[in-house]
Amino acid sequence: MFNSSPITSWEGAGAIFTYADSPAGMAVCFWVMAAMLLVPLAVSIKAENQAELDHQ
Amino acid sequence: MTPEEMEAAILALQGLTSTNMEIFYYWCTAIMILIHAGFLMYEMGASRVKHSLASGTKNILAFAFMIPTFFMFGWLIYLSFYQGFTYDPGWGEFGLPMSSIMGPNMSDQATGVFWGAFTLFACTTASIMSGAVIERIRMAAFVVLAVILGSVVWNLAASWGWHPAGWLVTNFGYHDAVASGVVHTISGFFALGVLINLGPRIGKFNADGSANTIRGHSLPMTITGLMLIVVGFFGFIGACVLYNYGVNGSWVNIYGGPTTLSAYCFNTLMAVAGGIIGCYACTRDPFWMMSGALCGVISAAAGLDLWYPPLAFAIAFAGGYLGPWAAKQIEKMGIDDAVGAVAVHGVCGVWGLLAVGIFLGGYPGFSSWDGYDVPSINMTGQLIGAAVMIATGFIPGYALSWIFNKMGILRAGDGVQRDGMDHELEGIAYPEELRSN
Repeated sequence: MFNSSPITSWEGAGAIFTYADSPAGMAVCFWVMAAMLLVPLAVSIKAENQAELDHQ
Repeated sequence: MTPEEMEAAILALQGLTSTNMEIFYYWCTAIMILIHAGFLMYEMGASRVKHSLASGTKNILAFAFMIPTFFMFGWLIYLSFYQGFTYDPGWGEFGLPMSSIMGPNMSDQATGVFWGAFTLFACTTASIMSGAVIERIRMAAFVVLAVILGSVVWNLAASWGWHPAGWLVTNFGYHDAVASGVVHTISGFFALGVLINLGPRIGKFNADGSANTIRGHSLPMTITGLMLIVVGFFGFIGACVLYNYGVNGSWVNIYGGPTTLSAYCFNTLMAVAGGIIGCYACTRDPFWMMSGALCGVISAAAGLDLWYPPLAFAIAFAGGYLGPWAAKQIEKMGIDDAVGAVAVHGVCGVWGLLAVGIFLGGYPGFSSWDGYDVPSINMTGQLIGAAVMIATGFIPGYALSWIFNKMGILRAGDGVQRDGMDHELEGIAYPEELRSN
């Protein structure tokens, strides 16, 4: 659906991962991953602050 | 055999060699995960019941965060900052997260397995800090500290001192074959910097400054975890050797110097034994006895490729004495290191670097890269290397944790510590809600 394949044939194939021929596609995946690392930290800080209030 | 058949045979042999190399590092990486499993058991066992899940969760999260961040920037730092803080774009392009070799690529069988092995080195480095701070550090702050240690700091040091063109190697002849300095000293002193700002657990020190012993809830779990770490070290040590890079397909060390896997096997086992026995003789404490295995391996690690095995045993035995002694001194300074990580990794790491200067001076230096005339192993190079490792670990650990402390996100409050860090999580360690004293 997203046309992520960088190859049309296995003959002489090099990089075969999704969006290997699309810097924009790789950039989107990269920054989505970065955001996915930051969100849990924010969630964790919020939970910790709540725990501090609950256990004073 | 016709020339065409000969050419085909050579190509087949080259392909087989690449595949064998992939197999070797793939399984080294898998075995290294046992280090993390060991640290998990070790830290959970060393925690009191009310903190045990939080300790385990912290450890697992460090592992999980290290992998994507090492992909994002960790590998890039190792490959491209070997001359200090100067970026080499020529090598950097091989570690850029959007490089064509940073993913499935039919023409590259090396990058993925090497990246994997180094990622597990990074996980190990972060785990070392993890044990020291149990029972009072907040999760988010810990994860960020672990990422900075594992995906920035240690790999910068590794690029300087654990790389064929690292400036410590090419200028000073620094020798650190299995990372006494670039992993253990770095992480031990990073942990020290964090501990100074984090402060002790509630109840660790009395008003007169004397220390209380806080026992974990499961010493058998801790001891078994330490044994798992020893198993995992064999993967770690295997991945410190380069497969088929030497003359006639032989092994070389991380700098490209000639070695054999047998050398590492002799000396690793001797170091494990020496450390255990040294620590047992010194303390007769089961916890320290198994920590002694780590003291021993770390003390001998920098020269594992060159020791005469009984000398490796003796150096490890001395490390087994040094670790508990250093832990006592650190405690007397009012620093609460829950598992002795600063002593075991930081102090024994420095001892390992100095032992190389004392006993291996004069061995010719070697770099697999052209154009470098590497000095012989010498005490000055080891001293400079040790100082660089201490500073490179301590300064960022102290600075970052100082900032987090000022922001109020470093240390759990007294209430949470009293009731248990597990209250920050959705879970309990034991169904019966067993509580330690």
